[in-house]
Parts: sequence; structure tokens; C-alpha cells
Amino acid sequence: MVLKQNSKHFLHRAAFGPLLRENHLDLNISSWIKGSEENKPLQVVEKPQISPELIKVSKENPKQVIVKSRDELIKLNVSWINQLGEPTATLREKMTLFWHDHFACRVRSAWLAQQQNNTLRYHALGNFRDLLFAVSKDPGMLQFLNNQQNKKDSPNENFAREVLELFTLGRGHYTEEDIKNSARAFTGWAFNPLSGVFVFREKIHDYGIKTFKGKTGKFSGEDILNIILDDKHTARFITEKVWRYFVSDEVIDKDVITTLTDNFFQSGYQLDGLLGDIFSSSWFYDPLYVGSRIKSPVELLVGITAQTGGQFQHAQAPVFIQRALSQVLLFPPNVGGWPSGTGWIDSSSLMFRMSLPSVLLKNAETDIEAKDDGDINNETNAAGSKRLGLTVDWKRLASFFTRHTTEETLQAIEDYLLAKSTTSANRNIIRRQTGKSLNDPELIQRAFIGYMSLPEYQLC
Amino acid sequence: MKTSRRKFIKQTLLGTSGTLLVPNFLKALEVETSSLPTTAERILVVIQLSGGNDGLNTIIPYRNDLYYQARPHLAIRPDKVLKTSGELGFHSALSSLRELFDQGSMAILNNVGYPNPDRSHFRSMDIWHSASDANTYTNTGWIGRYLDSSCSSCHPAHHAIEVDDTLSMALKGNSTKGMALKNPKKLYQATHNNFFDTLSRQRESHARAEPTLNYLYKTMAETVSSAEFIYAKSQVKQSTVEYPQNEFSRRLKTVAELIHANINTRVYYLSLSGFDTHANQEIQHQRLLSMYADGVRAFVKDIGDTRMKDVVIMTFSEFGRRVAENASGGTDHGTANNVFIISKALKKKGFLNDTPDLSSLDQGDLIHQLDFRSIYATLLNIWLEVPPEKILNGSFPVLDFI
Repeated sequence: MVLKQNSKHFLHRAAFGPLLRENHLDLNISSWIKGSEENKPLQVVEKPQISPELIKVSKENPKQVIVKSRDELIKLNVSWINQLGEPTATLREKMTLFWHDHFACRVRSAWLAQQQNNTLRYHALGNFRDLLFAVSKDPGMLQFLNNQQNKKDSPNENFAREVLELFTLGRGHYTEEDIKNSARAFTGWAFNPLSGVFVFREKIHDYGIKTFKGKTGKFSGEDILNIILDDKHTARFITEKVWRYFVSDEVIDKDVITTLTDNFFQSGYQLDGLLGDIFSSSWFYDPLYVGSRIKSPVELLVGITAQTGGQFQHAQAPVFIQRALSQVLLFPPNVGGWPSGTGWIDSSSLMFRMSLPSVLLKNAETDIEAKDDGDINNETNAAGSKRLGLTVDWKRLASFFTRHTTEETLQAIEDYLLAKSTTSANRNIIRRQTGKSLNDPELIQRAFIGYMSLPEYQLC
Repeated sequence: MKTSRRKFIKQTLLGTSGTLLVPNFLKALEVETSSLPTTAERILVVIQLSGGNDGLNTIIPYRNDLYYQARPHLAIRPDKVLKTSGELGFHSALSSLRELFDQGSMAILNNVGYPNPDRSHFRSMDIWHSASDANTYTNTGWIGRYLDSSCSSCHPAHHAIEVDDTLSMALKGNSTKGMALKNPKKLYQATHNNFFDTLSRQRESHARAEPTLNYLYKTMAETVSSAEFIYAKSQVKQSTVEYPQNEFSRRLKTVAELIHANINTRVYYLSLSGFDTHANQEIQHQRLLSMYADGVRAFVKDIGDTRMKDVVIMTFSEFGRRVAENASGGTDHGTANNVFIISKALKKKGFLNDTPDLSSLDQGDLIHQLDFRSIYATLLNIWLEVPPEKILNGSFPVLDFI
């Protein structure tokens, strides 16, 4: 039995491509989605004895503390990369990845980073209102956007500005005055650096009258979030971003997005409803969208490991690869998040992305160096760049894919790996690469590397 | 010499099987590029000092008591400073730079920064790359947008080259991107393995209607084609000038060779990192500064006085460092900093603006006097001859140093 085209497209978008055990099933999409009700928080960082804010507290030995936190951030990064490729709750993980880009945040304390990541995961498929409130009171986010410094007598607008511009309404649906007034409403939203828990500091909160989006009152931060959520532009902003993530970066179908927005808004921001609307529609499976989206570096990396079932020989390898591909989880470039679509592709990144399967699956050497980000404390700058290989059980893969003829075997592998079939000319190139008189596992390995090295594998 | 060079290129391009794999639509571009007149076009070289260079210990206010008060351990003693006629002098590791300064080939802009400075490495570098305000976010860089605005008909991939393995945001535009290469040979080898060769030779996919797939194949073909073109040209003349033995100088040498090869690249970009000197700054900073200055001196010599009239080198760092030293023999992240301009085409030389004002600080940091985007605007407008407003999303005063 072959995975149906619709199911395959669904798995390329809702997950990271089909997995071995899914490849022979007649996939039931709604029960597959149900599997993501499971929530598996990351638990690799232990709560530190001293302040989670770490850096400010330990003047005596700052370097040691920073390095320790860096190491833990790397550990957290690697364990998330591994979890993304696991076969359970994949949609929840993929949405957590989405929210990590939407609520892009760099947290220096690994404990706070883990706490934030688990908050995103918990609400990933739930209600956007709950998620927004949780993130707005998240210590890591409050620190990142300087709300600890947002006080009645000296307001700091950074947090308020990003909430309006990047998290909810989007540009054009608020004024500079709205930013000033909402910043006052968020004064006193802070966290206890010893416990790492949100606190409301009454003494520095501005209890005065604010005017926000045409309304006037003694607004609190909660009032501001409620007014933002009452504005349908917020529903549209989120819907459009979800569309770009799951449907298309290039084609924006305004009518469909309007309908999706209406339903999302009326449901009171239910995210599972929004995703359900998308995956149960017929337009989602339109050939126009199939295999048309450029994978982010993390999608590419997780796809290669998940589809081969490979294990990294060196724990730090995925960190180096993320750096070389310019997307390191927990280290977004700025609060605006990562690029998307063709923004990922330039001549050097494409060449590296296309050679990555050889590097990972054949232990080919790479002398690529990731950019130094200038930060002396960044341990990943020098991370072991030479041992990047995955250990793959090719015999097991051979048992899944070996058919009566080499052509059929190659076709089965192509169907499994590529979102959309390639040309006969490319097939011939791969056919020539795989050779004839090889034993099965070797042929399978060469075929995997061949198909994964095609530009087509960059797409999902 | 000329004849043999042309002959060599011809042989290299046509004599190997390589040409076969370049799709026809790219061959057209290649002819256009290689038949350009050999007269030099103006070239911009951008050098990024990553990590936040300590500007106050680079160009030293050696007559200012406040400097010595703020840095009891780290301040450079007046007798060690390479003094100039003014208030400022060079760090002793910068004797090569001082030479260029004395020859009238160097201009120094002090107090360069931007409003609401950000003290995070990645964010501040982001701001310098994107040329955006501190509170706006974009995924494109100023050189990339320069390519967007001026490069619709040129061979886009190698119009701007970063000498590195990966491409910085500064060189990424909306529709056009620069190219990253550590050296021409390495790129050539990477793109000319059997698999890529055969892949780019098959043209079926290019005709496809699918825009993203088409974009990937087009990028691949352009890369293969540019790699071959650049490699062939760069083999013509090897540099004979002696450079210091380090990676930064090797990259500068690559830039010099590519400039000599006339490959029609307008912007080169390279970085030197390690300037994040929170602890034990003295030795590390000394080493980095001499690496920078000696490398640049060799590069300028290699390019030659005549050609340096067509070349401008701009050096920047994402921020300067705090005026006061810290307790670990280092300095922490600061704000405004100096920017160096090196060329034989300078209209104004030496120190172009005020010395840093150490008496009026913002939370211990220098207050910027000159927006870095004014420097970008000047380079775009006067040097690269494009209107800067759209590229920089705003109007910034154009300066008169070139």
C-alpha cells in the first residue's frame, strides 16, 4: 500500500514528512492530529540555586555562570531538536516551533528559556488568548523586551511595541500614542529574579487614565490585551501567519483567509479549530500548494533525521549544523523571528543544504565554518564541526523499501522523500549514482542521499 | 600579458567540459560580464570587526584626564600612544594604519552610532546590517537592497561577495543576494562535483512553471556558473605582495586577487572577530588590532596607489565599549564608536569630526553624534552612485569625505 497523495502532503506540512511506519498506512488524519493532545514538556534544565536571571546576580564569577547557562541552552536546544523528530505529538511540536518564531525571544537563562518553551508547547494547540496572556507574563519575554525596566516614572515602550506590532495587531492598526499608553498599562509587569515567577509590582504601576485604540479608562495590562483581542485584526494577523506556515508563503488567498479569520474570531481564538479548518478543507490539498514551500533549516534537519531514523554520533553536531544553516533554536536573530521562504536561500546556503545529506549520511567531510556571532561566550562558535554524521540502520530501511526491481525501489524511496515527484532526467542521475551490483543497504543509502540532495527535497 | 590572459580565460572557460553545464540563459549573462571594459569600476570593501571593538583604546583620547580616570588599568599611557597633531592618537599596534593616515589615505569618524542604542551583539549587528531603526525589524540588508535597486540587469550572484562560508544578512536583498565564498578554488570544487554538474546540466526543471522550484534551480545554476567564472579569472594573476600569516589576511588577499581579476564585483565584505573583550583585554586587543592594521596595509599595497583611487575600505564594529573598565581587566558592551575610511580617493582626511565627549555620557556610554546611515548614504550616493533613500528607508545627510 502506498501513502495517498493527500496524506503525504499533510504529513509534509503538519509534520516533517512521512515517517517509516506511516508510509504504508492509510492515514487517518483526524486521529493523527488527536495524537498531539499529548504534551511532553522539555525537562533537561534544573532550576538553578541562585537567580534564574543569573547574569546580574553573580558578579563574583560571571564568566563561569554564563558558560554554564550557555551549555544548558545548548542541551535544551539539542533535546528539542530530538523531540521535534519524534513520532508522537508532532503537530504540537510543529506549532511550538511556529510560536517560537512568532514570539521570538532570546533568554540568557536556560531555566527561563525552558519554562517559556514549555509554555508555548502547553498552549500550542489551545487558545490564542490564553497563549498571549501566558507569553505576556512570561519572565523570559519580560526580560528580553525590557519590561523589568518599565516603570511609572520612566516607561519603557519596548514590550508594548512588540506586543502590538509583532505579536497581535500588526503594523497599521495602532498609533504611536497607543504604544505609549499601553506601555503605561504594562508598568509593573515583572518577575521575581529569585523564583523566576511573574509578579505584579504595584508600586511602579501607573494607575492613571490611559487612552488606547479610542477607549479611555484606568486600563491595566490585562485590559489592553483584551482590547487587542477584541479587534478582529488580531485574528487576521494570526490567521495569515498560520496560513504562511502551513499553506503557502507565496500565494495568499484573501477570500479563504477571510473565512478562516471569521471562524477563528467567532470561536474565541481556538487554535485547534483554525488548524482543523485548514487540514479538513479541499483547497489545502490543491496541487498548486503541494511541494511548493521551502523548508526552514530546522525543518530540513529534523526531516533528514526523522525520515532516516538516524542518531547523531556527536551530541553537539545538530547545533553546529543549525549554525551553518543560520537557524539556531532558542537564538532567533531578533524579536521579529527568522526569515522564511526564499529568504533562506542564497548561493552558499543552497549548496550547503544540498550537500548536507552527504555530510550526515555518508560522513562526508565538510570544512564549512559557521559564522562567529561576536559573542565571546558563545560556546557553539567552536563546536566540534567535523563529526556531524548520523548513524542510520540502512538494513532496516532496506527492509522497508526493497522491491523486485531497482526502478521500483527507487520509486518507493522517491515517493517517501519528495513532496512532489521529480523529473525523469533527475531519476536517471540518481539511478546512475546508485549503481547496479550493490547489496541492498548500500543501494538504499545512495538512493536516500541522491533524492535528499535534489533541490526538490528543499521543498515540502 | 593582456593577450595571454584573455587566451587563458578562453581556454579555461571553453576548454574544459565545464561550459557544457552552464545553461544557455546564463551563458548570455556570462558573455556580458566577461566582455566588460577592463577599466576599473569603483569598489567598496566593508570590514566588520565583530564583537564590539573598543574604540577608545583604538583611537586614544590621550590628552583627556577623564579617559585615564575611567580606566586606571586599561588606559594606554601617553608615551605608548602613536600621537597625531590633535587630541587623539593610535594604539601602538596600529603603526601600519598610522602610515596610511600620514599618507592622507585615511579618514576617521568618531561617535558613530544610532538612536536608542542596543547593547546586545546580535541585535546591534542586526541594526548595522539592516540599516534599520533600533525598533524596526527586517530580514534584508543594506548591501542586499543596493543589489535589488541597481542590479536587475547584471549578473547578480557575484556583484557583491562576502569572503566567508556563509552569507551575512547585510548582503541579502529582497530579490537579489550576494554570494559567499571563502576562496574561488574552494567554491569551484564545492560546486563542481559530479552530482551538481549533472544536475545543473539538465534543463528540464528550469522550464517548469513552479516558481519556488524554479528559483532553486536558477540559484544553483547561477552559483555553478559564477563559481566557474570567478575561478577561471582568479587564476590569471596571483598576488605577489606578502601578507601576514593569518585567516583575516588570507581573506583580504582573496579580495585583492578578485579585484585584480576584474570580475565586476562592486562590494566585498569580510569580518574579523574576537573583539568581545570582557576580560584580559590588553593582549587580545593588541593582537587583533595588529592583525587588522597589518592585513589592511598589505592589502592597500597589493591594490596599489593607482587602483586605490577606485577602492574605499570602510571598517565598523557593532558597538564600542563602556567608557569605564570592568573588574576583570576588560570592558563591557557600549554604544557609539569610530568608523575608518581608507582610500586614495578621499576628499577629506584625518579626523573628520569631534573627539568623543567623555564628560557627557548616557549610563556610562558615549552618546552618538553621527548616524551610521549617513556613512552608508554617502557610500551609496557618491561612491556607488545610487539614490540612497529607498535603500536606507529614509533620508540621511550625505557627507563630503569622498
